[in-house]
Amino acid sequence: MSEKGKVVVVACAGMDKPLGSVTSASVFKVVEKLRPRNVELVCIPPLLSGVSSHSELIRNLPVITVDGCAERCATKLIVKSGGKIRGRIFVPDSVKKHNLLPESASHLGPNGEKLVENIAEEIAAEVDRLVQET
Amino acid sequence: MPIIKWKVGIVSCSGEEIPEGTISRVATRLVLEKLRPDETVTICLPLFLAGGEGERTFAKVFPTITVDGCEKRCAEKGTMKYSGKPFATIVVTDSLKKCPDVGLKSRDQLSSEELVLAEKVAEEIAKKVDEALNQEMKQLRSEKP
Repeated sequence: MSEKGKVVVVACAGMDKPLGSVTSASVFKVVEKLRPRNVELVCIPPLLSGVSSHSELIRNLPVITVDGCAERCATKLIVKSGGKIRGRIFVPDSVKKHNLLPESASHLGPNGEKLVENIAEEIAAEVDRLVQET
Repeated sequence: MPIIKWKVGIVSCSGEEIPEGTISRVATRLVLEKLRPDETVTICLPLFLAGGEGERTFAKVFPTITVDGCEKRCAEKGTMKYSGKPFATIVVTDSLKKCPDVGLKSRDQLSSEELVLAEKVAEEIAKKVDEALNQEMKQLRSEKP
């Protein structure tokens, strides 16, 4: 597959909040199950450490950011690093939309798992939209 | 006189690109929730790197332990850059060398074998937490008039 059908997904890792775990689990579902051929997952810390392959990816491909809290670290850091954000998912909005909350950061529980499935579908829909546009 | 309870900050890499990153995060959560819940807090690495003042100040004042999934050592480098030398650094790929038979597969769901590895890494972290707190106590005692 050429770079043409590819989209970068950048998620906050959010170790300190349950919604951070939801964020990570959602992007894993997209990259491993829903759209493995279309998604490049870029991890924030190596991007900021200056790993050149990561910088090239976020500059050359459309980026979807997935943020777990109001700090919106993924979005802020991609803007700062010169990435082209073409889609954004804000997990607290998805929580309201689906009325589902995880039990804790380490145990998402049935509602948390359902929330992960829904957010993964939202990300996958954004991926499809961007792939169509390229 | 205010009583300050010493805490240790655990800084885990995000490690979303490799299964070792998932081991880092799961091991960190095990320490925070099961092994040393009263002695530890976590520092959100993306927020720390994005300029979170609370995170950076905490890591300057309290001892930190970085847990990295790979040799890029992003958590260690970030902590060094913004707050100073961590008390201890753990790299999951080094810890896994002790268990060469277990191949890591998924970033999403850990198998029971992988979970055992995460528990071993968590025990390593907990040991370092105890060492950090002992050192802080010794220092406090030596500073007493």
